[in-house]
Amino acid sequence: MFFHIVLERNMQLHPRYFGRNLRDNLVSKLMKDVEGTCSGRHGFVVAVTGIENIGKGLIRDGTGFVTFPVKYQCVVFRPFKGEILEAVVTMVNKMGFFAEAGPVQIFVSNHLIPDDMEFQSGDMPNYTTSDGSVKIQKDSEVRLKIIGTRVDATEIFCIGTIKDDFLGVINDPATV
Amino acid sequence: MFGNRDFIYLTDHCVNSDRLYSFVRFKVKNYGSCEATSGLTSSLAFTPEQMSVVTDSPVHSSNSDDFIAFLDAELGASSPESSPDKEAENEDELESVRIKRHKIESTEETEGSTSEGIMKQNLETSTKVDVCTHPGSFGSMCIRCGQQLDGKSGVTFGYIHKGLRLHDEEISRLRNTDMKSLLCRKKLYLVLDLDHTLLNSTLLAHLSSEESYLLNQTDSLRDISKGSLFKLDYMHMMTKLRPFVRSFLKEATEMFEMYIYTMGDRPYALEMAKLLDPQGEYFNAKVISRDDGTQKHQKGLDVVLGQESAVLILDDTEHAWVKHKDNLILMERYHFFASSCRQFGFNCKSLAELRNDEDETDGALAKILKVLKQVHCTFFDKHQEDDLINRDVRQVLSSVRSEVLSGCVIVFSRIFHGALPSLRKMAEQMGATCLAEVDPSVTHVVATDVGTEKSRWAVKENKFLVHPRWIEAANYFWEKQPEENFIIKKKQ
Ligand SMILES: [Zn+2]
Repeated sequence: MFFHIVLERNMQLHPRYFGRNLRDNLVSKLMKDVEGTCSGRHGFVVAVTGIENIGKGLIRDGTGFVTFPVKYQCVVFRPFKGEILEAVVTMVNKMGFFAEAGPVQIFVSNHLIPDDMEFQSGDMPNYTTSDGSVKIQKDSEVRLKIIGTRVDATEIFCIGTIKDDFLGVINDPATV
Repeated sequence: MFGNRDFIYLTDHCVNSDRLYSFVRFKVKNYGSCEATSGLTSSLAFTPEQMSVVTDSPVHSSNSDDFIAFLDAELGASSPESSPDKEAENEDELESVRIKRHKIESTEETEGSTSEGIMKQNLETSTKVDVCTHPGSFGSMCIRCGQQLDGKSGVTFGYIHKGLRLHDEEISRLRNTDMKSLLCRKKLYLVLDLDHTLLNSTLLAHLSSEESYLLNQTDSLRDISKGSLFKLDYMHMMTKLRPFVRSFLKEATEMFEMYIYTMGDRPYALEMAKLLDPQGEYFNAKVISRDDGTQKHQKGLDVVLGQESAVLILDDTEHAWVKHKDNLILMERYHFFASSCRQFGFNCKSLAELRNDEDETDGALAKILKVLKQVHCTFFDKHQEDDLINRDVRQVLSSVRSEVLSGCVIVFSRIFHGALPSLRKMAEQMGATCLAEVDPSVTHVVATDVGTEKSRWAVKENKFLVHPRWIEAANYFWEKQPEENFIIKKKQ
């Protein structure tokens, strides 16, 4: 799920960035620092959307660096147990398949793939229904339900299932 | 595999709760880089409707604890109804069992007439919940119920995805189901070693002066499938594919599901797999490196998802496969580079220095392919179609091997003591009979010296007198070698 939230961060800036462009420098450094990072609490920071407030800078003794408390708005992405996600399949094997939704890596084990879908190996491994109408392979888009999440410093792992109504392949021409 | 993120798709995200529903859809190119994600900011337009969750909820706060508490409360409140998946809520399940039990007790107390039989039945049905056995884990979560696990148990399958672990029962379940479909497709498993078996690599710095001409003869990495000599600058290496390897893989893939299993590290293994299989048709997520094995300096089939009775192994190093010698086809080492010869203590010139190479159509790989075909053919012999599942490729392999020297009766003469037992075993496995003393039935005398009594007897009786390499060569090529190529040279 996406959220638009306000976060706060103490930014350290080298004196060479002071001057007219101070604010721009702060913002671009902020984007570089936080976009693409993960935290267990908020999930994955997708993008900084605005600056709420930049506090007074505090000069550090000795170095000349200045610390600014910055409050910024950002879009974060964090998956939750029970959430329905759409994801792109990255790898299919006999254990199940892996899929990605942005920074989130999801594993759907074959326990959680409907029983009527069987694994077919070959140079394009896939799970296919016995009548061949539905096929999950690399690059398929699937709708799945998250049943477990773990957020690390840089990665988000999820366990997903497609063993439920309205879950499974969504981009297959046969089912659209 | 997972590094390839040049296209990432984030799409409708919703949750099973009426109150929380965010709907943002965008496609991002080159997501991983900072520039691109920053650029995204401008293309995202958030209207108040789209972010309704944000504007009228306590989420809009800089206090992260509030944020999380809010989410947990919202999701927690909605999860029991919205999650019909019983296994997913193991704790809730236990909780409900407890509640049910409590209810039964209380009804008994109040009514007093509830028969014990009914109560027991009730208890049984309520406890007969499908308790998850946690067959494996991904990122420390059970792959079946999503529960957090300690993450330390089970066999790791890092070569498929880091953080994936499976328990023994799950591995054997997967092996059993896979075995059936494999046999239906008339295939077996083949585990391939890289170095000295399919190719030979050297550090650029270790190229000898006589080999430096190779630097001008490397093939383009743009069209890998046409080349056989590659310079991998970023790894400071040069790799030569063994002659015939492309035809070998192409034909073997019709008979086998193939794995790569190397003692090299993971980046090297993947790079070599790319050279051997540029289209990714043979080794899809089946590249096992030393980082993925379960025992140091040992290769094991425990991380190969195939029944041992259906696995063949091609490797030049026998002692790497202590537990699986019967599955092994030992390869003659391919030394193209001088550094590789030196590493194994050979003082001769390398193939590269001699500007030579193994024969394309009659080299080691071509010969072994014939053996593989024979084993495969014998395994899937028409007459035994019903009990394929009970067949064992190790037995087939050993019976094919025992044909190689069948009919030969061998006497050894003055062979170095340490070498004798292994030579004898080799000869016997290939179907030869080994005798201690000469008698009329003897066909071959194996010696290193023409002057011994037995050697002289062989010459007098017109028997074959050969060097021990005759046996070793037969062992590598699975074929009796012409004796005249292994005549013992007179000592000066
Ligand atoms: Zn479980």
